[in-house]
Amino acid sequence: MSAAFVHGVGTSRFGRQPGVGAPSLVQQAVTEALDDAGVDDVRELDAVFAGTVFGAPGTAQRALQLLGITGVPILTFENACATSSTALHEARHAVLSGRFGRVLCLGVETMTLHFSGPITPEETDAEGRAGLALPGVYAMVASRYEHLYGLEPKALAAVSVKNRRHGALNPRAQHGAEVTAEEVLASRMVADPLTLLQCCDISDAATAAVIGGERGVGRDVRIAASALRSGELWDHRSTHPWGYELMAGVAADAWHEAGIGPGDVDVFEVHDAFTIGEITATEALGITEPGGGCDLVLSGHTALGGRQPVNPSGGLLSRGHPLGATGLAQVAEAVWQLRGEAGARQVEGARVAAVETMGGGTAGIDGNGCVVVVLGG
Amino acid sequence: MSTTTGDPRPRVRTGPDGVAVLGWRCTGCGYPVAQAVLRCPLCRGPVAESAFSPEGEVWASTCLRVRVPGHTPPYAVAYVVLDDGPRVLVHTPGDRPLPPSTRARVTGTSGTGDLLAVPAGEES
Ligand SMILES: [Zn+2]
Repeated sequence: MSAAFVHGVGTSRFGRQPGVGAPSLVQQAVTEALDDAGVDDVRELDAVFAGTVFGAPGTAQRALQLLGITGVPILTFENACATSSTALHEARHAVLSGRFGRVLCLGVETMTLHFSGPITPEETDAEGRAGLALPGVYAMVASRYEHLYGLEPKALAAVSVKNRRHGALNPRAQHGAEVTAEEVLASRMVADPLTLLQCCDISDAATAAVIGGERGVGRDVRIAASALRSGELWDHRSTHPWGYELMAGVAADAWHEAGIGPGDVDVFEVHDAFTIGEITATEALGITEPGGGCDLVLSGHTALGGRQPVNPSGGLLSRGHPLGATGLAQVAEAVWQLRGEAGARQVEGARVAAVETMGGGTAGIDGNGCVVVVLGG
Repeated sequence: MSTTTGDPRPRVRTGPDGVAVLGWRCTGCGYPVAQAVLRCPLCRGPVAESAFSPEGEVWASTCLRVRVPGHTPPYAVAYVVLDDGPRVLVHTPGDRPLPPSTRARVTGTSGTGDLLAVPAGEES
């Protein structure tokens, strides 16, 4: 197989919906993805690559049986926020290698089942045990970034304002309301300098994609490249903020495989779990130079209508962040953009899209895992 | 409130010479690490128990102002690169994070087991 394609995508509703449960969310997402792919018979699926971070053992099998998806190998991946992006990357390689003809990718998370507020840090982790919750991890990124390059609060606010403006155009977004920079900066401080409106919300949702070979269907979207790495040791020798070198390394792998660079991409979906995350991601992807991420967002380059929109879906900030489902939500947005099906948030003439998902939370390394996927072209 | 048996946080020793942060150092390449290791993560060389300087430089910092189990907000934290030692996460007094490049000194651990540090030169 010379290339793998996305045949179809689907998502559940996003939101805090504790009464719904994984089986229902999975059915919503998979039904849409199979219909989108034109798969009438689930026996056309050769495997399922699922992902969940907090889900109970058997979450995928428990839900998939209700869709009649049984018998085929069902594998479940966990790679923090990059969980379902990892499933997609692996599914692509399973198709390219000929191991499977068609793979259903699935991400599912029922976060309100586990958390009443923010994700509680992992007690078996040295820094989690010391109280460094995820907003703190990203706040440390902001602190280090400010030390290296300077960081104005208005740049952080601009990311939230932009993405929530985009999300207002996305009927699937969990938080569809627009906000002003003043409102962002005046919202409650969570971890200095990150305020509440600079943090994504937890979410219950499922996402799905059908991956297969070339079948001559015009709506299918080619996966031009995908790359995955886990972080290197991140310790007393490190100078860059957390995640920066991992994202940059994975992005370089993806650009190399795709044979293009960041300047050739029309639309990006990147990991804006916190505002500073989008600023560092745009630099690590090479859209701008290190330290240029603030000017990039303040200039409008990354807004809808700008030269290279970033997070037209509204990103994690607006869509919500169901951890294991987020990567495929980003991929779904990229697919809709490339097909011209993104409605009011459509990036006109988008031909190439790139998705970046960053997973973290483990002390001592530069990230649990990062995935960059290049689509279209 | 913890249900975890092995506490993964770095430990300190307080003796007549003051406070030292405990950990391991590679006897081959010198790599310092505060987490328990059997071999050096860099070169797989043997490691020996080591006591690191309590002083170092703040690398990044913040103040957490949300509820986190086992911790009462607000609490300021910082990464401190110990002199010739590993980088450790410490709690610092008050709710004003110590800016990067500040010199800091580990003074011990809190009642709940977190490393505590103050600006170097200040009394604990
Ligand atoms: Zn060594």
